Amino acid sequence: MNPALAERETAGAAGVMENVYLPKAAVLDRVVDEIHEVKTFYWHFEDAAEQAAFRRFRPGQFAQVSLFGVGEFPTSLPPSPTEEETFFTVRQVGSCTAALHGLKAGDKFAVRGPYGNGFPMEEYRGKNLVFVAGGIGLIPLRSAIVYAMAKRGEYGRIQIFHGAKTPSELMYVPNLREWERTPGVECHLTVDRASRDRAGGEEWTGNVGVVGSLFKKPGVTVPVENTIAFVCGPPIMFRFVIKDLLGMGFEERNIVSTLERYMKCGVGKCGHCCIGVAYVCVDGPVFTYEQIKNLGEDI
Amino acid sequence: MAHQLTTCTFCGVGCGLYLETAGNRIVGSYPSVSHPSNQGRICVRGWHVHEVASSPDRVKHPCVRKNGKLEEVSWDEALGFIAEKMKAIREEYGADALGFLNSPRCSNEESYLLQKFARAVIGTNNVHHGTGVYSNNSINVLLDMMGVAASTNSIAELGQSETIVVDGVDLGKRLPTIGGAVIRAKLKGARLIVVGTRRHRVAESADLFLQIKPGTEALLYGAMAKVIVDRGLMDLGFIKTRCRDYAEFLANIREYDLLRVAESCGVAASLIEAAALAYGGAKSATLMFSASMEERSRDSIRAVVNLALLSGNLGKPGAGLFALTEQNNLQGVCDLGMLPDRLPGYKPVTDESARAAMDALWKTRVPAQPGIGSRAMLGHRGQGKVKALWLSRYDPTNTALLGDVAGQLRQLDLLVVQHLFMTECSNYAHVVLPTTAFGEEEVTFTSTDRRIQLAGQVVEPPEGLTPGWEQIAELGRRMGADWKYGAARDVMEEIGQAVPFYSGADYENLARDYGRQWPCTKDRPLGTRYLFGEGDGGGEELPRNDAERPFKFVAVPKPAERAANPRAFPLTLVFGNSLYYWNQNVLVRHSETLKREYRQLMIDYPQGFVEINPEDAERAGIRDGKRMRLCAANATAAATARITPEVRSGTVFVPHFMREVGQQILGSSGDSFRLVPVRVEKEPA
Amino acid sequence: MKARIVSREDAPKIVDLLRERGYEVIAPFGGRGRDTFFEPVTDENRGRIQIHLPNPDYPPKRYVFPPMERLLKVERRDGELRIEPTYDEKKRAIFGIRSCDVAGIYHLDRFYLGREFADIYYEKHRRNLFLVNVACTDAEMDIGENCFCMCTDTGPAAREHFDLQLFDLGVDGRGGELMAVAGTEAGEALFTSAIFKKAARAHLERRRVILEEVRKRFKPTTTSWFSAAIQAVSRGEIPDETWDEIGNRCLECGGCTYVCPACTCFTVTDRAVEGEGVERLRVWDSCALSGFTRMAGGFNPRRAVHDRRNRRFFRKLAHYFIERELSMACVGCGRCVAVCHGDVGMPSVVEMIRRQTAQRKEV
Repeated sequence: MNPALAERETAGAAGVMENVYLPKAAVLDRVVDEIHEVKTFYWHFEDAAEQAAFRRFRPGQFAQVSLFGVGEFPTSLPPSPTEEETFFTVRQVGSCTAALHGLKAGDKFAVRGPYGNGFPMEEYRGKNLVFVAGGIGLIPLRSAIVYAMAKRGEYGRIQIFHGAKTPSELMYVPNLREWERTPGVECHLTVDRASRDRAGGEEWTGNVGVVGSLFKKPGVTVPVENTIAFVCGPPIMFRFVIKDLLGMGFEERNIVSTLERYMKCGVGKCGHCCIGVAYVCVDGPVFTYEQIKNLGEDI
Repeated sequence: MAHQLTTCTFCGVGCGLYLETAGNRIVGSYPSVSHPSNQGRICVRGWHVHEVASSPDRVKHPCVRKNGKLEEVSWDEALGFIAEKMKAIREEYGADALGFLNSPRCSNEESYLLQKFARAVIGTNNVHHGTGVYSNNSINVLLDMMGVAASTNSIAELGQSETIVVDGVDLGKRLPTIGGAVIRAKLKGARLIVVGTRRHRVAESADLFLQIKPGTEALLYGAMAKVIVDRGLMDLGFIKTRCRDYAEFLANIREYDLLRVAESCGVAASLIEAAALAYGGAKSATLMFSASMEERSRDSIRAVVNLALLSGNLGKPGAGLFALTEQNNLQGVCDLGMLPDRLPGYKPVTDESARAAMDALWKTRVPAQPGIGSRAMLGHRGQGKVKALWLSRYDPTNTALLGDVAGQLRQLDLLVVQHLFMTECSNYAHVVLPTTAFGEEEVTFTSTDRRIQLAGQVVEPPEGLTPGWEQIAELGRRMGADWKYGAARDVMEEIGQAVPFYSGADYENLARDYGRQWPCTKDRPLGTRYLFGEGDGGGEELPRNDAERPFKFVAVPKPAERAANPRAFPLTLVFGNSLYYWNQNVLVRHSETLKREYRQLMIDYPQGFVEINPEDAERAGIRDGKRMRLCAANATAAATARITPEVRSGTVFVPHFMREVGQQILGSSGDSFRLVPVRVEKEPA
Repeated sequence: MKARIVSREDAPKIVDLLRERGYEVIAPFGGRGRDTFFEPVTDENRGRIQIHLPNPDYPPKRYVFPPMERLLKVERRDGELRIEPTYDEKKRAIFGIRSCDVAGIYHLDRFYLGREFADIYYEKHRRNLFLVNVACTDAEMDIGENCFCMCTDTGPAAREHFDLQLFDLGVDGRGGELMAVAGTEAGEALFTSAIFKKAARAHLERRRVILEEVRKRFKPTTTSWFSAAIQAVSRGEIPDETWDEIGNRCLECGGCTYVCPACTCFTVTDRAVEGEGVERLRVWDSCALSGFTRMAGGFNPRRAVHDRRNRRFFRKLAHYFIERELSMACVGCGRCVAVCHGDVGMPSVVEMIRRQTAQRKEV
């Protein structure tokens, strides 16, 4: 008998098999408005042991959030395990996310996780890290960025490229400002359209153009040798950035991204998130571009 | 766990379905292998029947509106209230101030008793069903030309057709079991001809796809008839012995010119010719069209029947006409008289001897004046004509065809709503009566191929709920009628006395087999697979125009050639139903999967949509999901575009629920038969 | 393996043995016409148990993976959230499960227990399930016109993964004796009953002869081209036109996935329960439906029907999954043929793939 099955046999017989579908009670601490329709929710598990176990999550993983009576949805984990607080950043787009947006501090909901493979940050030690984030694509990448900053000595150059449609749609502005100021870290921002829509009506003086235009900015050299490129953003942005990176000489296995699909179980059983041979929730959501090309189905 | 064979109550096929129960819950559903109509197959709706049971939204108690709010009351109080109000309204305004509307999903028992209540107890012929607007023309034309308002053959025979013509109806989405039967017939060698403006799923399998311009059906069938006549393919034996008025028809047909028709219809003449030869030259050919979801002109239906008569495709297996009833009991509801101008069995209300027969059976005097239909009752194009309305499982506020229904409902002195859930019209109801649901009661339904079938009780209804028919019977008693129905089967027994072609069906024999196809009588106890068979008078029980030559040709005046669209308005606006129709359905709303499937369109296009072909969209620079403008000669409207290759290039499809667009374009005439020339433009940013 | 002989008359008594041991026994029974379904054995229907009858279209996977199953119950009380899992741990035995379905259960074991995570709900159903396999030896009754277990090597007599197997030693199911083979210790434990007699070498020989004979009774279908289909699918060599044609004939009913013994997809839904809070249910779902992959916000990677058909057969036939799960997700039961409106069940699709890739290669 297959060893995995045998082990499961024992666990089942002994009654110690874990129920992976069981969410645990969580409390909302506070809510912060990010950009239009996007909020950050700071929370913690009611049970301290659950919280401690969860805190061992890896950058790039996700969790399943339950709003009982409405449903459950997957969301990335933008905090780094090196930070103190646990939070999600969620855009309101359907009934479950709308229910979450309707909660206030003190309200209870439920969470289970962390799930997914996460970024192999240990494997990347010693390498340069280039992060390219389009719009809310910065949410899943934030975890890896903050983690790398916290373990700065373990990595080479760190470059962050972030673009949004307009200035008011740039994500995590306080973090961006901090990263811009951090010595040894490059942070380049751009918007598709400059406009006065920032709070305070400040005029945008930075780069205007798609995020790929930052690669050609004078003074910017993107390392390719011994470098991992993290890419996350809307499908069109993704396609163009990949083209740019390949054009620069990046190998497909050194470009990494995190994929999104409709999910229900998060543990590789319900079938909804399967693309070709991969279940995004267990084989991903982090995939190299080489893996993406070989999934057997278009993403 | 128990398994019980029942009939699916979603669409007019009436598939044989097993329900699996555990305790008092339906936990599974799956097809019956041996049922003659579906033979082991069901559609996505049938596969999810088990999800509806025990919804927390069920109304559990009757309610009466007091001080503006609906309050739970006892059955005694609710029915007493209704009886008093009805008496008062009849006293003050006359019997015709009351109207009774039901849904084509109501059971035979509910329907029969509701029209009996209206006619025998209240004294009005104001009875109708929610789809009357669509089915009236079919009923009248079929009765006129064939003597029978129903499909003539059986779904199970489709495998025997040499040629199948599918006109207009999207079988794959609406009646999937029939769609499958048609596809499989084609795979086994039948010739499949699809006619219509939309390229739906089954059209992809067609041997000949005649994607005609909207409103040109009558022209097309006329031209096909001409080809059949020119090639001598008509069935002269059949015509001479069984049909009348052939000469006039023939003279009329000679005026059709194949090439001119081809141009008007927008399809190649060779295609029309091939279709005609395939249909006329086949040993047995079937033609199907929808009698329940499309507004068809009488002439377009006449043209279809003429074709069937011309080719002698009635009265033999694998042939015939299917007047498809898409809702599960539209056939039964009409058979049993929920029609303002016809009694049970389709006899006209104005027919004295027919009334006399009902008078004798019901011990009453049935009113001689035909009633008004749903449109008039609900105040379409003007003031509503009734003061009291009874709605049985029917919510007209969601039927886009009827204008400002809410406004009309608000003005009623009495609105009684009988339903499973608090639907939108309950907001205006004075009384809400909750009923039992599928599986909680034993009743019958009649499928589109005349199959009277039982849907049995497999679970106990929530405490206190009773079948709709029982409530109507109780109300009748309260208003003085001497009605004794112990069980639903007793109602069926009386139905058999009222409607001769139902007379041989009873619960006992319906339970034993897979129902009975009418006419089912003493002489035909097993029912009738196909009508008008050889040596078969067709059953004396069927209404007859002329016992010897029961069929009648009707010359369809050759439609005036529509002037080509003016250059400024090159596209044609067409109105029709979209699958949004199913979103109100009980099963769809309470099944997680069905809800997800049927709501996709609503969620993708929250402001609704108007459909346009990709070529036309590209020419105008219109993108999917973006706003577009429809410009007619005298009006403009704006809507979100849904680009789909299903729509014929040159047409723009406006679903009925896009009420504003309809009102803006059609104005107060609201005649959605009209084809409006339009131009499309993208909305400026 | 341990083999015994039991008389035809005594064979149904195995049901009684199981009932005595606390099992709810499920067996196939006849309905109207050729309809059959699995139902619990009661005193009332006990006398109607048959060894040979058409395999029910509604698959026995519902006993380890129910069409609708409650996962959790949630209540809010005094500001506290109480989240409780609900399990079904009833002991069940299926008397008369076919070899194809035994392979189906094994496939579900591999999928629900043998991959990254174990499904506890499945585990509890499975641990309490006892399988009495009946080998298909009656060509009239057992072998349907859609059966192709020969091609998937899952029948007509399973080699393992059952607790007990009954093999009718009579010609066309009319013999007086059946061979009972134990596949597990639990199966062997039943052999203490007096209804089981020792088996002789002659019985084994008889079994071998009958099995060979029965194999010839299957319809000669072209699904023996399975291996070609697996290769073509795995390499992505199937022309788009093939998927277009399949998609055109599919009416998106989901039936193929619901009846398939090796299909596993589900969706999860929360429902209010009167007076009880909220229950979280899982219900069968199907990749045949367009909403299966639709994301909130509208993006749907498999909006078109031919993409979904492509997906189904990739999941069923791609070599990667067979390797990963050590089991193929098709057991040759033929149910997908029986329920399909457009004749695009596995055998038809395999044939279409074979024909179209062969044509291409002829160039």
